[in-house]
Amino acid sequence: MTTAGQRLAIWSLVWISILILSAPTVVVLGASVTSGNMIAFPPEGFSLKWYQKIAMARDLRQAFGRSLVVATVCTLVALPVGTLAGIALSRYRLRFANALQVYLLLPFTVPLIGSGIGLMLVFGEWRGLGSLWPVGVACAVINLPFLVWSVSSSATLLDPDLEHAAANCGAGRVQTFLHVTLPAVMPGVITGSLLMFILAMNEFLVSLLLTDARTVTLPVQIYNSIRSIITPDLAAVSVVFIVIAGAAIAALDRLVGLEIFLKSK
Amino acid sequence: MTPLPRPDRAPEPGQPAVLVRDVDMDFGSGPLAVAGASFALARGRFLTILGPSGSGKTTLLRIIAGFQQPTRGEIRIGGQAVTATAPHRRSIGMVFQKLALFPHMTAAENVAFPLKMRRHDPATIPGKVERYLDLVRLGGLGGRRIHELSGGQQQRVAIARALVFEPELLLLDEPLAALDRKLREEMQLEFRRIQKELGVTTINVTHDQREALVVSDEIIVMDHGRIQQHARPVEMYRLPANPFVAGFVGVSTFLEGRRTATGLDAGGAACAGTPVGAIPEGAPVQGAIRAEQIRIEADPARLAGCDTILPGIVRDTIFEGERLLYLVEAPALGLALQVYHHDPEEFALFDAGAEVSLGWNARDLLIFNRQDGRDGR
Repeated sequence: MTTAGQRLAIWSLVWISILILSAPTVVVLGASVTSGNMIAFPPEGFSLKWYQKIAMARDLRQAFGRSLVVATVCTLVALPVGTLAGIALSRYRLRFANALQVYLLLPFTVPLIGSGIGLMLVFGEWRGLGSLWPVGVACAVINLPFLVWSVSSSATLLDPDLEHAAANCGAGRVQTFLHVTLPAVMPGVITGSLLMFILAMNEFLVSLLLTDARTVTLPVQIYNSIRSIITPDLAAVSVVFIVIAGAAIAALDRLVGLEIFLKSK
Repeated sequence: MTPLPRPDRAPEPGQPAVLVRDVDMDFGSGPLAVAGASFALARGRFLTILGPSGSGKTTLLRIIAGFQQPTRGEIRIGGQAVTATAPHRRSIGMVFQKLALFPHMTAAENVAFPLKMRRHDPATIPGKVERYLDLVRLGGLGGRRIHELSGGQQQRVAIARALVFEPELLLLDEPLAALDRKLREEMQLEFRRIQKELGVTTINVTHDQREALVVSDEIIVMDHGRIQQHARPVEMYRLPANPFVAGFVGVSTFLEGRRTATGLDAGGAACAGTPVGAIPEGAPVQGAIRAEQIRIEADPARLAGCDTILPGIVRDTIFEGERLLYLVEAPALGLALQVYHHDPEEFALFDAGAEVSLGWNARDLLIFNRQDGRDGR
C-alpha cells in the first residue's frame, strides 16, 4: 500500500512530466489560433485565419507535397531492405551479425551533418541533386536502422521453430516466407514503415543539404521563413505536423496495437 | 541365481514404419551429439525417446524431421530413404516444444495450412479441419485467434495441425514440458487416446520418465548421444540394460562391490542379487535396487523369506502423498538406501533415528558389470 504522502509525490511527478512534455505542443497550438499578427502565447482572441493563410500559400502547399513524395520514396526504398534485414538479423545466424549491429548504432553516433554531407557528395557525383528522389533515398539510408529494429524485435518474439513448423506443414522456403514469416512480423513492418514515413516527413538537416530552391521540403521551407519573419502561420504549419504524427500513431494503434511499438528496441 | 538374459536391443519390428540406421551427428565441437543410433519402429506404434538434457534425443528427432542432416547414417520412413529429402517433402506431422502455431491465423486456419500447402482439394479442406478440431475436442473454437485460446487449447490446435494431413509419422518434441502437472497428465492421456484412435506411428521425446512409461508402447533411453536401451515400458522398468537406465527410470540405490556366487560383496557385506549377463566372479560390479523393492520393518523376524537382511537407521522420512520415502543408512554398506513405503495404514511408522531392518530378494538387486554400460550415478 502507498501512503497518502507517497501518492501525492508520485502524482506530482506525473503531472509535472505531462506539463513539461506537452508544453511545446500546447504553446504552438495556442499560438496558431491567435487573431493577432504576432506569434504569441497565450493567443490574442481566436481565429483560424492562419490556417486559411497556409492553405492558400502556394509555396507551403508545394513544400508539403514534396515532403510527402520524399516520405513515400523513403518508405518504399526502406521497406523491402529493412524488412529482410530485420528478419535475417533475428531469425538466422549471420556471418556479419556483429558488423550489422554496429551499423544499427550509427544513427546515434555519427552526427547527421556528417552523413548529410557524405550523401550530398555522393548524389552530387551522380548528378542527382535537384530532384526529390535522392532526398527520399538519403532519409531511407539514415533512418533504416529504425525499421530494422522494429521488424527484428517483432521477429524475435516469434517461436524459433515457426519456420520449421511451416516446413513440416509442407511449405517450401518461399511459401514459408510469404505465408508464415512475413505475416507474422507484419506488426513490426507496419510500425517501422510508419516510423520511416514520419521521420522522412520531418527530416530537416539532410533535406537542407540535398535540396535547392526548386525542391525545398516542408521543414526546410519553414526554416527559410523563420529566417525572414516569424508569423503565426508557422505555428499553424507546426500544428499540421503534429496532427500528421498523431494520425500516424492512431493508425498504428488501430492496425497493430501500441504495445508492439512501445516494445520495439 | 542363474544370470538373466541380456535384454533385447529392440522388439521385433514387422515392416518398419521408421528405420534409423547408424546415425551419427557431429556438430564439430565436443563429442558426437548422436553416436551410432539405430532402431526400427513398426507401423502404429508409440515410441518415446527418453533421456536427460544433452543426451541427443532432440537432435535425433530433428534429424528424423529433416531439420538437420546427419553426419552419417540413414533414415527411412515407410521404406523410403529420406535422409536427403527436404523437411517439407516428408510426410511428417510435428508438435513443437513451444507449439510454433502461426500467430496471425485462427485455430482453423492453422489446421487448414498443411492441407493448403500439400495441395489437398480445396473443397475437402473445411470438412477435414472440422473433423480434426472435433478429434482434439475443439469443435466450435476454430474461429478463435491463437492468443485467445488457453495453453491446453493451443496444445490441441498444434496436435490437430500435425495430424490433419494424415502423415505417415507424428513427432512430439517435448510439447508437454511447459505445462503444469495436472494439465500435463491430462494431455498425456489425450495423446495416447488420439494416437490409438488414428493408429499413427508416433515418436515422442521427453525427459520425464513417468510420461514415457504412461504413454508409450516402446521406450528408447538415450544418454551421451547413444541409445542405452530399446524396450517395452515394463521390460525397461523390470530389466534395465545398464546402471544408467536403472537410475534414470524409477528410483534406485546403487551398491559398489565385487561379484560373488550369490550376488555381490559390498565391502564385506554379502548382498544377494541377480547378474545381468554373464559376469565372472571377482569382477567389479555395480548393483541397483529399486526403492519399492526394499522392505522395511522394525522387527527382522518379519522379513523372513528375504534373501538379504541388513540393519539400518532411518535418516529422513519424506512424505510424497501416495507413499513415503525413507532414507535409511545401512552401516554395513556405508551408504543410505532409498526405500518406498506404500501402506497408508502405517504411514510415518518410523521417525528419523529409528533402528530398522531392511530386506530384499535376490531377483530384485540387479548386478551390472562395471566394465560395460555406464555408471548409474
